[in-house]
Amino acid sequence: MAEFNKMSEMVIAGDFAGVKALTQKMIDDQVDPISIINDGLMPGMNVVGVRFKAGDMFVPEVMMSAKAMAAGIELVKPLIAESNMPTAGKVLVGTVKGDLHDIGKKLVNMMLESAGFQIIDLGVDIAPAKFVEAVKEHKPDVVGMSALLTTTMLSMKDTIDALKEEGLRDRVKVIIGGAPVTQSFAEQIGADGYAPDAAAATDLCKQLTAN
Amino acid sequence: MAVGSLHHNGLFFRTLTEEQVQDIHRASCEILEQTGMVIHHEEAVELLRSAGAHVEAGNRVYFPTHLVEKAVASAPSRVTIYNRQGKPAMYLEGSKVYFGTGSDTLNYLDPVTGERRSWRQEDVAQAVRVVDYLPQIDFVMSMGLLSDVDRRMINREQYALMLQNSVKPQVVIAEDGDTLKDIIEMAAAARGGKDKLKQKPLFMLYTEPTSPLQQPRESTDKLLIAAEHGVPTNFACGGVAGASVPTTVGGALVQANAEALSGLVIHQLKAPGAPFIYGYGNSPMDMRTMQAVYGTPEAVMFQGGLVNLAQYYQLPSWGYAGCSNSKVTDEQAVMEATMFTLMGALQGCNMMHDVYYMEFGLTGSLEFLLINNEVIGRARRMLDGIATDRESLAVDAIKRVGPGGNFLGDEHTAKHFKENWLPELSDFNSYENWAALGSKTMAERAREKVIAIMQSHQPEPVSAEVQSRIAEILAQARVHVGAKE
Ligand code: B12
Repeated sequence: MAEFNKMSEMVIAGDFAGVKALTQKMIDDQVDPISIINDGLMPGMNVVGVRFKAGDMFVPEVMMSAKAMAAGIELVKPLIAESNMPTAGKVLVGTVKGDLHDIGKKLVNMMLESAGFQIIDLGVDIAPAKFVEAVKEHKPDVVGMSALLTTTMLSMKDTIDALKEEGLRDRVKVIIGGAPVTQSFAEQIGADGYAPDAAAATDLCKQLTAN
Repeated sequence: MAVGSLHHNGLFFRTLTEEQVQDIHRASCEILEQTGMVIHHEEAVELLRSAGAHVEAGNRVYFPTHLVEKAVASAPSRVTIYNRQGKPAMYLEGSKVYFGTGSDTLNYLDPVTGERRSWRQEDVAQAVRVVDYLPQIDFVMSMGLLSDVDRRMINREQYALMLQNSVKPQVVIAEDGDTLKDIIEMAAAARGGKDKLKQKPLFMLYTEPTSPLQQPRESTDKLLIAAEHGVPTNFACGGVAGASVPTTVGGALVQANAEALSGLVIHQLKAPGAPFIYGYGNSPMDMRTMQAVYGTPEAVMFQGGLVNLAQYYQLPSWGYAGCSNSKVTDEQAVMEATMFTLMGALQGCNMMHDVYYMEFGLTGSLEFLLINNEVIGRARRMLDGIATDRESLAVDAIKRVGPGGNFLGDEHTAKHFKENWLPELSDFNSYENWAALGSKTMAERAREKVIAIMQSHQPEPVSAEVQSRIAEILAQARVHVGAKE
């Protein structure tokens, strides 16, 4: 449908108001709400992802596109039963105990969101017990931990251990990141994955939730 | 007071007009008054509340402008930092400029093996000894994050290494208030008592808000401890433009200034007149790679603005120089570092740090530090400006040499040529002589020199008494934090 193409273009252009208006029009025209997401909003965002990786789009432009998509989703969401809502998966994220760096984590969130993941952000300075509590409450597919300080990296292991103790470790994938974190550290503490940047984090989550 | 840095012989540099500075000041006051800050520290919130600030939801503090203006007025306009021997090392006043390294890089570019690896205690000790040797580096920071000590002891062990391996004053990072207290103890031991340390500060504390507009508990704790002990401190936003501060240089200045002033207000309420160094930094986010990058043109201009604000407030200033995003000591590294250093010198920023940072603060390189040492030497020479006294105008010499003569044989040349800048690392040889010396690049020459300094330079040691006091403080701290030896 031409309108889907137009919607994708609007998402790519970050045309917040345009997406909103067109989504409303489609809803009024009885277009299937799931199709609005899958055939209009998401294809636009997929193009954005490709263009960003190729260096043809910049982070703030990606953010505007994500915002435009979110504006559309917000309108159709009430019309879809929660269990039918298309989502790539649920990711619970937080900056670990003692650490306040959150710029990178927020970027990871925004990139994941624009790839269709649902994000629950616990914030900064999150102790292992809080992660455990939140896993119980939200039942995420993936837990993402961020640390920028060498002194706080150890808390990632504590969280993984706490998840094990509570018998939750097998129910979630654990991924970690932040400047001092490495792939070998991830392996050492028994995480399921590591990503050096937000784009790679998105690929990692896709890969981990695919199977 | 007029803004701008007057160097020598009329050399003058200014980034903002006084009107622009006032616009920024007013905008920052507007933010502090209407948006306020979240302050995760009960004592600080109480201090502010009883001084007349409006507090909501327990920790959201709205600052009336009179509190800001009172703090600006009560803070000293100049601060002197002394070296370990008790001699004045840095006069933070006027347009004087001083340079130092950075703290806590994760990776060390080993000059001997060329390898990029974690820092060990011996590496930090050696790096500090190199700083002790270098004439253009005025203060030392921890440089490397120790990988071979208990994580909770890192800042304390780093401080001990700085104290033991250089007489130069330090700038310190402390994880929390307890760490800072132990560092004060070590410095006091070297100085011969806390009173003397207050009289002659040996180090400056580097603490900061978490942008946007938050003061974390630890930072505020340290700010109050510094105020109480008369330890000079900054409260320096480490902005990432486009993420934690606005992407426009002006907007970043408004917010960073508001945050610095919020720290100053608390600091001066706790101890009016305590030494405060005004400044902050900005590492704008690169919108392609998502990295916080150092020394972009915008970051350099930003620093020009902050120095003019410091002058308007009559406070000493703090900033950056000599840092890079490059992964190795290459053309990019030297280009980025040199621009920042020369501009910072012209701006008249009193204390500039991170000289030697590579890879946006994740890696440190001593050969790069050596090149920076040479760049700073050049920049400082330029701050001398042009002398126009009769002797410098050389009228008599010109008459003596006359048409067709040569200045090489004239006494005026012999008397004055040493005032001119002389290279140490830069190569001024003919091609043949350069080739005969091994056709080495600047980085190669720097690496060789670093190794030579490491092998030969012996800094003045601390006394046995101070040494054992440091060991005692560290041992107690290990017990306190539950660390192993
Ligand atoms: C900005 C900054 C700050 C700001 C933080 C503001 C904020 N709201 O976050 C402020 C000024 C508050 C700050 C404070 C401190 N900082 Co700081 N900071 C930085 C700086 C310059 C940039 C970090 C950043 O935002 N980068 C940009 C983002 C986008 O990149 P990123 O965080 O790396 O995230 C990317 C990836 O790592 C990854 N990623 C991140 N999280 C996750 C999570 C998952 C699950 C995955 C998959 C991926 C992933 O994807 C992200 C996007 O691509 C770095 C230096 C550097 N270049 O890293 C120092 C740095 C991290 N800080 C450092 C230090 C020492 C401190 C302080 C202790 C200093 C002090 N004076 O007290 C305090 C600590 C406060 C605390 N308790 O946390 C050191 C850390 C050394 C270490 N490893 O221990 C660094 C390396 C600088 C240095 N060399 O000294 N800092």
